[in-house]
Amino acid sequence: MSSSQALAARASVVRRIMLPDNGARRKLVAGHPEAVLISARLPLRANLSVLENIAIVSRVRDGLSAEDAARDAWELLDRVGYARVAELRDPDLGHEERFVAKLVRAVVLAPPIILIDRPGRLLPDTYYPPFVDATLAALHGRFEQCWIVDYEWNAPLYPRPE
Amino acid sequence: MSSETETQVARRAGADSWSSPWIGLARFGAAALQRAISPSTYNGVTLEVVQKQIYFTAWEILPGFTAFVALLCVVIIQIVGNTAKGFGLYGYALELVIRVLALEVLPLLTAVFVALRTGAAMSTEVALMKIHNELEAFELIGIDPVRFELIPRVIGGTIAVLALTAVSIVIALGLAHLVIVDFQPWSLPQGDFARAVGKVFDLPAMLLLWTKTLAFGLAVTVIPISQALATPKRLSYAPVSVLRGMVRLFFAVMSIEVVALAIAYVV
Repeated sequence: MSSSQALAARASVVRRIMLPDNGARRKLVAGHPEAVLISARLPLRANLSVLENIAIVSRVRDGLSAEDAARDAWELLDRVGYARVAELRDPDLGHEERFVAKLVRAVVLAPPIILIDRPGRLLPDTYYPPFVDATLAALHGRFEQCWIVDYEWNAPLYPRPE
Repeated sequence: MSSETETQVARRAGADSWSSPWIGLARFGAAALQRAISPSTYNGVTLEVVQKQIYFTAWEILPGFTAFVALLCVVIIQIVGNTAKGFGLYGYALELVIRVLALEVLPLLTAVFVALRTGAAMSTEVALMKIHNELEAFELIGIDPVRFELIPRVIGGTIAVLALTAVSIVIALGLAHLVIVDFQPWSLPQGDFARAVGKVFDLPAMLLLWTKTLAFGLAVTVIPISQALATPKRLSYAPVSVLRGMVRLFFAVMSIEVVALAIAYVV
């Protein structure tokens, strides 16, 4: 069974955590070593394509063949509408494309928590709350929990809960 | 519970390497050797990296390398042949040529060639991986970069050095036969070529040759990578790291050659 099939039945939960300062953010990140971090300071491997960056996770962890791992990775990229970046490498990616690649790689890892660390740093040219929400919605069912960690002063950017 | 990962070992080795270079190097070299002989190292991912490394280090450069080796061999064979003829010792030229080229010059030349081309590239790439947090990012997603990225490069690079050395020796033997025997068939009695080859490549010489070449292969891969892993996380340190790696590599390669010469001709 491929990793994507194994994840198929998850009920994904998305949480927004607004923090007052960098100290609180660091404390939160350090307190959750089980979380996979999506952060601007943790890049993709520059000499691998997006597809390879994603596929290598299930090849190493689950022992999938190169073909199966690539198929899973392609399927996830296609699901979020970014299959076109599959063959690109990190330096050729835009911010949104890089964010999606990192997010999909984290999804393949299937950690208990995916922690998106300061999305504003990952997506500096994008009105990011709706973009992040839409991307996570496209991946609904493929991850357990996703925490979006941002600063309180960015709270007005997020839509108010109805 | 398993002990520290290879990346942690390499990082510790790297930290040592910046302060006390040879200790760090020895640690990474030992880890690489241990990994290289362990069957568990070889899975689809690592084999792919090994293959890529052999391709970029040996196959991609093969035409240019072969042409250069052939040219160098012809020049050296001519020089040795003519000099020997001048002294009336042409009968010894063949053995001398084979000994100088196959046992001494070509393994060293191959190591230097690979060091300049692949060693420098590897060192730069790993230093940038370290500076840009790519190694850390890989570790955080559960992939040990030393095991899956770096040690396969050491294995592939070492295999490439061994293969290129073998190719260059075959070229040298072919050209020695062509220039000394085929072009001047009256100069040597029938069967002298085979006798000279057999005399030069006796068991101790073969053992020394391939041990030395293996040491060259390990040096040109382990030293640049180990030094690059020690690079502090600042872009301005990248050139310093590459420079240090290449200088240490030069001294290591030359030391290996000197030790091998001493074993072959002094001890």
